[in-house]
Amino acid sequence: MMTTTCSRRKFLGAMGAAAGAYLAHPVMPLARAVPAGRVAVGTCREYGPEVTATLARMFDQLGGLEGLVGGKTVAIKLNLTGDATDRLEYLPAEITHWVHPQVIGATVQLLGQAGAARIRLLESPMSTSEPLEEFMLQANWEPRDFLGAAPRVEFENTNYLGYGRKYSRFWVPGGALMFKGYDLNHSYEDCDVFVSLAKLKEHVTAGVTLSMKNCFGITPCTIYGDNSPLDEPSLAPHGGRGPFHEGNRLPSKSAPPPVNNALTSKDPGYRVPRVVADLVSARPVHLAVIDGIHSMAGGEGPWCDNVRHVQPGLLVAGTNCVATDAVCTALMGFDPMADRGTPPFETCDSTLRLAEQLGVGTRDLNQIEVLGTPIAQARFNFRHA
Amino acid sequence: MIVDRNWVPMKWPCGPLEIARRNKSGSIDANLKETLEAWVRPSALELLKDTPINCLIVDWADGRPEDSAQQQALKPLLEAGRKLGISFVGKLALKGSAGAAVSAARAAGLSAVICEDASAQHSDLPAILQFPRDKAAWETASTIFCATENVWPGLNLQTMNGDTAVAGPTGIPWVNSNAWFSLLARELAPGNILWLDFDPPAASNLLHPAAYALAVADSYAYGSRWIISLDDKLRAALPNGNSQAKAVWERLCEAVAFFESHKEWQAFKSQGILVIISDFRGDNAYLGGEVLNLLNRRQVQFRIIERAKSQPALEGLKAILWLDNQKPSAERQAELVDFVQRGGLVIAAAYWGTPEVKPIEKDPSLRYKLYNVGKGQIAVADEGFQDPYQVAVDAHLLVSRRNDPVRLYNPQTTNCHSSGESVSPHKGKRLVQVLNYSSEPAADVALWVNDRVDSARLWQFGAAEARALGGRPASPGTEFDLPPVSVYCALEFEGTNL
Repeated sequence: MMTTTCSRRKFLGAMGAAAGAYLAHPVMPLARAVPAGRVAVGTCREYGPEVTATLARMFDQLGGLEGLVGGKTVAIKLNLTGDATDRLEYLPAEITHWVHPQVIGATVQLLGQAGAARIRLLESPMSTSEPLEEFMLQANWEPRDFLGAAPRVEFENTNYLGYGRKYSRFWVPGGALMFKGYDLNHSYEDCDVFVSLAKLKEHVTAGVTLSMKNCFGITPCTIYGDNSPLDEPSLAPHGGRGPFHEGNRLPSKSAPPPVNNALTSKDPGYRVPRVVADLVSARPVHLAVIDGIHSMAGGEGPWCDNVRHVQPGLLVAGTNCVATDAVCTALMGFDPMADRGTPPFETCDSTLRLAEQLGVGTRDLNQIEVLGTPIAQARFNFRHA
Repeated sequence: MIVDRNWVPMKWPCGPLEIARRNKSGSIDANLKETLEAWVRPSALELLKDTPINCLIVDWADGRPEDSAQQQALKPLLEAGRKLGISFVGKLALKGSAGAAVSAARAAGLSAVICEDASAQHSDLPAILQFPRDKAAWETASTIFCATENVWPGLNLQTMNGDTAVAGPTGIPWVNSNAWFSLLARELAPGNILWLDFDPPAASNLLHPAAYALAVADSYAYGSRWIISLDDKLRAALPNGNSQAKAVWERLCEAVAFFESHKEWQAFKSQGILVIISDFRGDNAYLGGEVLNLLNRRQVQFRIIERAKSQPALEGLKAILWLDNQKPSAERQAELVDFVQRGGLVIAAAYWGTPEVKPIEKDPSLRYKLYNVGKGQIAVADEGFQDPYQVAVDAHLLVSRRNDPVRLYNPQTTNCHSSGESVSPHKGKRLVQVLNYSSEPAADVALWVNDRVDSARLWQFGAAEARALGGRPASPGTEFDLPPVSVYCALEFEGTNL
């Protein structure tokens, strides 16, 4: 493992390499050399002005955002899982299982300062086609705060067709693990840069949920939902993503078909990590930002058993989602090289391994540059917290 | 003689009429017969000692041969009751004229009769008119009037899997409540008192104590009164001193006593920035009722205005949902356009504004055309108002959650009603009542109100005094962590800007 700082020139060079790898994806075999990543770790005890300062320092450590987002349309997938009124005890969602608005606002502000021409905040709120702003208001958030953080900020609920005229198709390059491709809201195509802004959490089904698992929520439940029609997408989403979790049925036939083994296992611990690995291979993440200032341990939301509030006091950012999630996994007290049967993947396959297998990035800490606070110094053991 | 607005009514089924009715329906056994005979005895009134219940509804005549025997059998009970200050209302279920039965009731010392026959209002004994709620005769509603065909409040049994509520596609457990009808009655029969007639579910087996308290709360919190009605097993168990039955009874009476000691709350006006306008009659009855019910389930705080009401107060409102299938009169249109021009939103099934205004480009997912008029908008449903559920969802979103007066977090099976008073002596008082429709207490429920207040007075059943509950600033309002809500609690605020 390397802990170092990085010049802006180097950072932009790495971005170019990652983009090149993406373009080359369709012809790349599995188990190919994967792009290495740089990951910045920052300590930040509380939400407040220090969030912006910490993230700014981290982005500088990564080499700055200008080259990545200058003049570009940036789409940010937020992690606002569950219902807007769900809470762990009395704690607001952003203190436990949602990415905090301070982290969103700071990221938007810094992207704007780096020259992003247009910033689009995206999420697929559970079982509704209501505007994303309304979903936020229900959680007592103020969407106007985000509008004021940078020029031209927009919102879109991506759990259905939204403002698009048709769904955008993303094929999984090189060899899909669960579905050959995925039909998504247009927002995931109509952007130059894709950011996954996630929370540092364990996940009952997938072991951990970080920047990659956050992308599970880019899939619209009008196609991939429990109650989506057999042939064509529904107008509005209803229910969760049973076709992914349990394989109890197929998505609407209008979507790309499953690969052969997609129907053989009904085990969510087999299926969900593969869907996630497919998704981040098909719709690459250019920048991963993880909110680990406050979080919860034991699961991904208050609906899980034995969950509790924790305060790791961490922010993590990286230009490769596998590398970023590997560092996060290590920061949570786990071995990112672990696989099924070993924490945190006791009952599931490792999304890190599967994404690595698809050539998205490396989970090997020895190949990842960790910038800022060293892992050993920042580690917060989720199982012992 | 006039009806007493302070009556706390309870059904008192007993005697030959009820026995004959049960015999005919085949729903009687030896135990029940014994119970029905026991409850006609004066000693049964012992149950009411130290309770707020002061009015018993007894079967008086339904055209059967047993009518006379019933009236004879009731005499000792009536006499004993009167000495205890209890009033009796005789229930008439007659197809023909009620004249003779009313005269007999008067002679026997009954205080009123309850019946469906509107002509009974003109007799020499006060009449409480009764009607099924979907055939509400608002124009002829008596000072106290009674609606039947209500629901037993609680989680819908058809959506229960054992003790677990099965949520629908919206994620919200389906809750049965009469709240919307009580709110409607306050608007369509202002100043009158609605009694809700509903019985415990037939399948009940000594209902959970919370169920009866909820039946009380779901009525009183929205300004009506439930005619207390016990299930057969509870009525059989009470005179025998069954401890479980006693606990259920005490909890029921505690709930009634609580609301009776807060009568001023009944006059508080529903707080809401959305107004629903319709005549709620005929073709408008179903859609109107369903939308009110579904808005209430979404915790949308609303007010109701009857279509024909002249010069309704529109100050302080953000939006009007014109639900009536008849377009507004010219005079009302002018009022609505004025409301829109000053920044309001009107949601309607058809556009009736000035013809030169064209709809603006809209979000393709929105099922409404939007017309900018002055500082406000008229939103017109593309396909009219068809699905009440969708109308409720759309209305809430068009008004925007930004304007919510209250919100619940971890609501589970709870709902809330916000009301307040803008005139003395309770000026500036605001009340948010929280009801739990499950028999299991709701834990970790937080209430957000759009007022900046430091603390509130928390009221719960069984507590003679309120206790202070500190709030937490949650911009732009205040959030309160509620203790576990068994059935009901209320937060009272003072000095708010109502």
